[in-house]
Formats: sequence, C-alpha cells, structure tokens
Amino acid sequence: MTEFTVYRRGFMVGLAATAGILPGVSLAQAGDPVRGGTLRISHSTRIATLNVLTLSGPAEYPVIDMVYSGLTRIGPDNTPLPDLAESWEASEDATSFTFNLRPGVTFHDGSPLTAADVVATFEAILDPDIPSAARAVLTMVERIEAVDDLTVRFHLSTPFADLPFSTAHANARILSKAVVEGDLSQIETTANGTGPFKLETYDSARIVRLVRNENYFIEGKPYLDAVEMHLFPDLAAETVNFLSGDVDVMLNVQQADYDRIASAPGVNALRVPSGRYINVVMRQDQPPFDDVRVRRALAMAVDRQLLVDIVLEGLGRVGNDNILSPEFQFYIDSPEIPYDPAAARALLAEAGYPDGIDITLVASNRPAIRGQVAIAIRQMAEPAGFRINVESMPHDTYLANVWMQGNFYMGYWGMQPTEDATFRLLLTSDASFQDTAWFNAEFDALVELGQATVDPAERARIYAEAQELILRDVPYIVPFFEDVLTASRSHVEGWTVQPISRVFFIEDVWLNRS
Amino acid sequence: MTSPFRSYPGMVGGLLLLIVGVAALFGPWLAPYDPQQFHPQVRLQGPSAAHWLGTDQFGRDILSRLLHGAPSTVFFGIGATLLGVAAGTIIGVIAGVAGRWVDSVIMRIIDGFLAVPDLLFTLLIVTILGGGMGHAMLAVAVAFTPGMARIARSAVLSIRTREYVLAAVARGESSVYIVGREVMPNAMGPIIVEATIRVSFAIMIGATLGFLGLGAQPPSTEWGLMVAEARQFMFRNPWMVVVPGIAIALAAMGFNLFGDALRDSLDVRRSH
Amino acid sequence: MTLSYLIRRLGAVLLVLVIVTFAVFAVTMILPGNAAVMILGEYGSPDQVAALERQLGLDRPWYTQYFAWVAGMLQGDLGTSLRLGMPVSKVVGDALWNSAVLAVTALVGVTIIAIPLGILAAVRRGTASDLGIGVLAYVGTAMPEFVTATVLLVLLAGPATGLFPAGGYVAPWESMSGYWAHVALPAITLGLVMTAHISRQVRSEMSDVLSSDYIRAARLKGLHERRVIRRHALPNSMAPAVAVISLDVGYLLGGIIVVEEIFAWPGLGRTLIYALENRDLPVIQAVTLVLAMVYALTNLISDIVIALLDPRVRYD
Repeated sequence: MTEFTVYRRGFMVGLAATAGILPGVSLAQAGDPVRGGTLRISHSTRIATLNVLTLSGPAEYPVIDMVYSGLTRIGPDNTPLPDLAESWEASEDATSFTFNLRPGVTFHDGSPLTAADVVATFEAILDPDIPSAARAVLTMVERIEAVDDLTVRFHLSTPFADLPFSTAHANARILSKAVVEGDLSQIETTANGTGPFKLETYDSARIVRLVRNENYFIEGKPYLDAVEMHLFPDLAAETVNFLSGDVDVMLNVQQADYDRIASAPGVNALRVPSGRYINVVMRQDQPPFDDVRVRRALAMAVDRQLLVDIVLEGLGRVGNDNILSPEFQFYIDSPEIPYDPAAARALLAEAGYPDGIDITLVASNRPAIRGQVAIAIRQMAEPAGFRINVESMPHDTYLANVWMQGNFYMGYWGMQPTEDATFRLLLTSDASFQDTAWFNAEFDALVELGQATVDPAERARIYAEAQELILRDVPYIVPFFEDVLTASRSHVEGWTVQPISRVFFIEDVWLNRS
Repeated sequence: MTSPFRSYPGMVGGLLLLIVGVAALFGPWLAPYDPQQFHPQVRLQGPSAAHWLGTDQFGRDILSRLLHGAPSTVFFGIGATLLGVAAGTIIGVIAGVAGRWVDSVIMRIIDGFLAVPDLLFTLLIVTILGGGMGHAMLAVAVAFTPGMARIARSAVLSIRTREYVLAAVARGESSVYIVGREVMPNAMGPIIVEATIRVSFAIMIGATLGFLGLGAQPPSTEWGLMVAEARQFMFRNPWMVVVPGIAIALAAMGFNLFGDALRDSLDVRRSH
Repeated sequence: MTLSYLIRRLGAVLLVLVIVTFAVFAVTMILPGNAAVMILGEYGSPDQVAALERQLGLDRPWYTQYFAWVAGMLQGDLGTSLRLGMPVSKVVGDALWNSAVLAVTALVGVTIIAIPLGILAAVRRGTASDLGIGVLAYVGTAMPEFVTATVLLVLLAGPATGLFPAGGYVAPWESMSGYWAHVALPAITLGLVMTAHISRQVRSEMSDVLSSDYIRAARLKGLHERRVIRRHALPNSMAPAVAVISLDVGYLLGGIIVVEEIFAWPGLGRTLIYALENRDLPVIQAVTLVLAMVYALTNLISDIVIALLDPRVRYD
C-alpha cells in the first residue's frame, strides 16, 4: 500500500469505517457483541493530567483516546483511518489538505462540532505560547481555514504527504472552540470531547472513571457502559491484582512476568511486535565517539541476540542500529551486526585506543530496562576493550542533569507513526531531541525531500538512502525492538493494542459473560 | 559495667555481628565468582553445587553478590551513623555546655528538624543530592544529627552538675579540659548505645532508599538494592528476594540486639 | 497542668513549624531541574519547556516565587499543584484524609495488641512466651517495610490464597467491608514494626515497675497478683507507653511512604514521592508542613496525656 493511496482510500472508505469492523479484529468466533458492563484496567503510572495538548504518560494516552477524537486516527496496520473527518483529499503537490467532517457530531456537553472547533484547536496547537506536543509534527502548517461548517482546509508551507498521520497525533485531539478560548487550564482536570466515553470521575491518585457517550457518532458503539482506570504504582502488586481477577485488563505487562501471566488460566496475553527501542546515545562532538570507528567497535561489542534473550526474555527482535523497525513502510533490511569482540578490539586500536577506553554510561532507573541493558552492554563490551562504568540514577535526576547533555547514555523511545516523525524527533540537525551532534546535511536534505515527495516509489528510494546514511555513520546503537505486551481476562473481547502502543479502539471492546 | 555478652540477646547479637563483620571485611575475597559475571545458561536458578545460593536474572552468582554487597551495606550503616553521631554530638555538647541562649536557639532549631520524620527528611535531602550510595549515606547522617544532638545534650546536662565536674570547675580548669576529660567520657555511654541501635535503622533506611530508586544504583550489590531488583523476578526465583532479605534482617537484628545488651550492661536509661 | 504551660508549648510548636517552612522552602529551591522539565519528560523540547515555565511562573526569580508563596500561605492559599493542575489544598487534603484512615487503623490495632503483649512478656518474664514475644519483636524491627509488604502480598493476596485485594483504597464511609479488606495488609505491614517496638518498651517499663519497692510492698500486703498488676503496676507503666506510641507516630509518618506506594493507597506518602519526582514545589511544601504539624501536635498531646496519667511529671 502506498502513502498516496492511503488518503485516497481513506476518502473512499470513510463510511465503511463507521461500521466499526477493523482489520485484524476478528469478532466472528466470539459471537455478537453484547452491550453493558464495566471494563476495569490496571496501570502503573499516574494519570497526572488530562491536558490533551501536553500529556505523555503511558496511562494518559488511552484515557484521551477514549474521551477525545482526532480528525484521523492510526489503525492496526499503521495507516491513518477516518475519525472526525469522514474523508479527506490532498492537492496533487500535497501542499493543501481538505478534511470533510462528519455531520451531526456533538461534544459531551451537547454542543455541535463544527469546522470552527477544529480551526481553534489547531491554532492553539501551533501557538508558541501554549505548550503542545503535537506542534513538532505540524510545523509545516501555515494556515487552517474553515471552508464551511463541515469542511476544514490546511495550507502547508512545504509539501507534506504524511499530514493525515500528523492529524492523528495523540496530542492533536479536537477541543471545542469555547474551551480553547476560555480558561485553558480547565483541560488539566476536565474533558469535553467527542469520543466514545465521557469523563465521570478524575482522581489522579486512584481512579479515572469514564462512562458511555450515548451520542457517540458511531451508531451502536461503544458496547461498554463504563471504563475504569485503576492505578497500581507497584508492579508486583499490579500483577498479583490482575491474576486474582480483580481487574479485566493489565495495560502493560513486564517481560519478566509475561510467561507467568500468559500461562495463567482465564487470561489472554497479547504480544505485538513494535518499533519501540533502546538507543545508546554517543555524542559525536567530543572524544571518543567523534570517531565512527569507535562507534562501530562498540556496535560490534554488543551481543544483540543475548540482549533479546535475557533482557527481553525473548519478547522482541534484534535491531541492527537502524532506528526504523520492519513495521515502517519504507524500512530497509539492515545487515546483521555479529557479536565480535576481537574485531571490535582491533577496530578500537585502529582508531587510536590500543589500550581500550574507560567511559561512564549513564542510565535512568525508569523503566528498569535501561539499566539492565546498560549493565549487559558493560559485560559484553569488556572483552572488546570498553571498560564501562555504569551509572544508574533516579529518572528525575537523569532528566535534569544528563538527558540531552551527557555524552554516553541510554535513551528509550516509543514507535513514531512515520519515517518523517522518527527522523525529525532525533536525527535531523534541527530534530526536537537532537542529542548525538550528528549533523549531516545530506541526511537533512533527504528527509526534506522525502517529506515533500508524493510518489511512493520515489519516497521509498529517498528513505532507503537516508537509512543507508544512518547505518554508515552509526549515530545510535539500537540493539533491539521491544514487543508491546498487554493482557486481558478471557471474557474481554476485542482488546487490541497497536504497534505504536497508543490507539486502543476501546469502543469495540465488549464483555462476553456467557 | 557487666559484659554485654553475658545475656542471651547480647550473645546472639554478638554472634550475628561477628558473621556480618566477617562478611563485610573478607566477603569479596571469599566470593567464588565475579559478582558481575553473567552466566546466561543458568539464569534464575535455585541453589546448586555450582551456585550455592542460586543465580539472578543475568545468571550472576547470588552468593558472590551477597558477599560483595556486605561491605557496602554494613559500612553504609556504620558510616552514616558515625557521621550523624559525630555531628550530633558536637552540636549537642555545645548546646549542653554553653547553656543559656545558645542552648535555646540550638534546641529550637533541632526541634524543628525533629518534627520532620527521618525517612521524609532523608528523602528530601537525597532528592537534592541526586540519589546514589554516597548521597544516601550523607542524607541519613544529616537526618540522624538532630536526634543525636538531643541525646548528647541531655547526657551532658545530667553530668554537668555532678561533683567531679563541679570540682573541675572549682579547680579552675579550662572548659575544653572539662568537656574533653570530665564530661565526654561520662556522656559517651548513652551515645554509644543509641548509635549501635541506629546502625540497624541506617541499614534499613538504606535498603528502603534502594527500593525507592534513590539509594544504591545498579549494578551495585548493596543488599537493599538486590531485594528491590529481585522483586520483579520473585515468582521465578524466590531465592533472589529471600537471600538478601534475610541478610538485611540478620545484620539489623545483630546491631539491635547488641545495642540493647549494651544498654543493659551500661545501665543506660531511656534517653529521649 | 497550667494554662501558661499549654500556651508556651503551643508557641513552641508554632515556632517549630515556622522553622520547618523556611527549611523546606530552601530545600525545594535547590532541587535540580524544575517542574516544566519533569512534566514534559522526554517529549519536551526546549521551546515547549520555556512555554510551560512561563505558564507555571517558574521563570520568575526565586524571591518573587518565595514571597508569592508566603503571601498565599498567610491568606490560607496553598497554591496550585504544578503537576496536577489542581489546588494544593485539595490534593493534600484528600491525601491527608486517606493517610489518616490508614495510620489511625494501624495505630489503634497496634495499641490493642502491643500493650497486652508487652505486659504478658513482663509478667511471664523468662518463660517461653516472653522469649517468643521477644524474638517476634526483634524480627519485626529488623525487616524493612518493603520486604514485609512484599512477603504479605505474595502470601495473602496472591491468586493462591486471595484473602485480600492486592492494593487499592476504599474509605470506611463508602463500604465498611471493602475498607477492612483493603486496609488490612498495609496496616499489618506498618503494625508489625510498631508492635515489636511498643511491646518491647512496655515489657521493659513493666518489668521495672514490677521489681520496684511499692509493688513489693503491695505483694507483701498479701494482695492478689492480678490485683497488684491491674491496680498498681499497670497505671504506672502507661505513661511511658504513651510516650513510645507518640514517638512511633514519627515512624508511622515515614512508614506510610513505602507502604502506600506498594499497596496503591492514595495518601500523603505517595503524594510526596510523586511531588518530589516531579519537582512539584507547592505540594512538597504542603505535605512536609502537614506531616511536621501532625508530628508536633502528637507530641504535644502525648505530653499532656502523660502529665495527666503520671502526677509526678512536672512542667517546666
């Protein structure tokens, strides 16, 4: 499937999607969905805010996915699907996009959704005085125009074929104009969206309870009466609680517990290959990582299969320093990097370090996987001449003192929906989180070109070239891609999780008590 | 003074301290393996001939980690306590000896700090310093200081009016001499007893900080951190939690029992 | 007990609290990083952090922030949580309630169990029950709460037994049975250490009293042993017991930090940890102040109770 046909197809299947049967979600053997019941979900990180413009917590995303809707959303096959926009069209040069809104949609407070709400929302996102996470993927938007009550047009400064992905960004959900123009701090603790569920209780220390939106724009959905998000800060307690049957869904399962949970009676464990990865940051503007041979030597000193086996418990795939995973449309297969400490040692000597290198690798202690990988790398790289001192620290100290500043530390990122978003997050010279000092004009130009190119074959060629540059210069070591793990009790039907581990389609979930 | 080893608690406490002390002093040389070495083939195993106390998630030898962790765990407790006792004693003696407004001012400030629970105080300090073993030790020491100052002060006050002190004052001895030669030796009893018991608190606070992610950091072999890391794997290899958990309990119990026995033998009454 | 004594003590408590507020503000000002960085985490780009700092008022100089905070405090306004976007009074007030429910349950339970245990051990000094209680006490004080909590969780809340829920909070006024089920494990965890501590102290006080002259005199008068204990020994060893319990409130205020985290109890301890991690200064300040206030007042009340129980205590 190609990018261009994605939105063409979106234009044509806008109504089909409202029937709600999603690819990959088979309801056939489960019988007909039954209405009613409360779905209890446990999670281990606090839902600290409902501010849809800035939130980024793993348990905050599902809440806003249930309460709000976007113009588009990302489906299980990583393509944009209609949401509030029932269809969209792009100009041939991809510099203007027209979204046609669904008629008759209302906010939870009863007010109708119109183009003015959409315009107000995106203007707020683009306002530099309002903190908003989606701005990073919408920088090319010059102007948003309400053509009529149900039509919105985006005018772009440069061509951008991926705009329907950007409008699906988790933090680009549609607020009502009245909210945007009122006291915006209200959205920290209240929510007036158009999603399948309405906010009933918000107690960030304990529980968030959502109830069915009777006026949801997809007829007959959602099936559930209510959804409750229960907070369990301690992972051991959360697991015990799920296995005792006190909740229906455990949002995130730890690798260490996966087998035990999957083999428990009455439980469906779900494992979805994803592009989530650990990246070892090696700053190139100072020794020793200013020499590509040192970076390559370290890459050869990492036993990737062993990491997958002992840190991920086999629940992931080996990565070979390409930050794109096979889920991406324009991913190129990267050559395997075998574990070869002897060759690494030789390369290190060639780079001018015949006696090896003493260096400190910093890892935040949250999630624990960062520290585990760091410790494993320390052991694996020792025979290659890297004498690594692992320094773990509390996450808050890491954020304040090391992240974006240190020269050798463990990064950890979720999967982005597109190639463009991934590169602009980390690798282009003006990336939001450029922490490698890998300033490569050729790469920047390719990313610019890829963004503006509409023809899929041409884009594939451009992005392949960009990936070759990454593999050549090794800005990061990406040892593996981690699977997304979740679990539900067996009476829960239709619980899915996407590779970007974000969009949950909870309106399709129902409880099979028969 | 009778020997603290005369009583059962004293004997048991002394024995535990002996075991812990040997582990702390010679542990690293007794360990059969490098505590950081991976044995991927034998991950998460129970006790065996090759690994007497089993292995952890990386296949590291638990016995070796325990023995290597003994010095850092025990010296953390002792170090934090010594620092706290030293600072507290100096402050307390100054307050007790100087009396009058100096005493009032110091004691009001001490009361202020005492109003904040130990663990909370430690947390605040360690968050400023940024976590890690050394910082945690400093934080525990600071948290102990006000309590120790209070005990030292009351010990000094109870001695200040004794005959031998009054005699020294009458002889016209310098105040440094009086404090150093007459007051301190006689005030040390309650301070030593309190310090011994506090070592066990320090070890437990250190372990708790490790659990909260603010104390020792991986790949350290500090016992509290070993338990904290092992909780994730406790259903697959309970030994990972049990072994360091018991080690902490034994060390804390040793200091506790011995401190109590010491108190009985020195006949020190409750000192707050 | 005189009125002037009470006033003086209250004045001292007030002074202590003022010192605590100064100390806490100073401490929070030197914490590395600020709330904007922590809120946006790894998805916060510099321009977003800057925008958020402006919104939260963190770009103002420290003295401006300080005076704004003091001015708010004096008007009873604790400010707004930087992280949660809610009034601090609500965040901390709710948490205080929940913690109080847990702490009071633990404290009452411990008092009911620990004092008789201590008395039993003292009366039966040297017997097997004394030894048993003593061993229990030493083991109880030598286990960090997170170890005890983990053991209880696995043994009593796991799918194997399923006696108790593995965490969560139900207020007694919502559902009495739900409250008992949820409060049991955290209260037991907190209670173990305190039971050990208090029973040991009661035993030693009681032993002293039992070997004192007036008890011997009472025995010589031919009084029944049970009457000796109830009428003479017990009242005289209660004052120290109250002192120990009030000291243990200090332990309790620290212990809830760990226990609430493990058992998902939405109280002050967890609020504090969360606020520390997020550099949520107004919340850190409020929680510390509340904990210090509770502790100081407990000490005051216990002093008064001791004075009432034990006429020998003089106030100076």
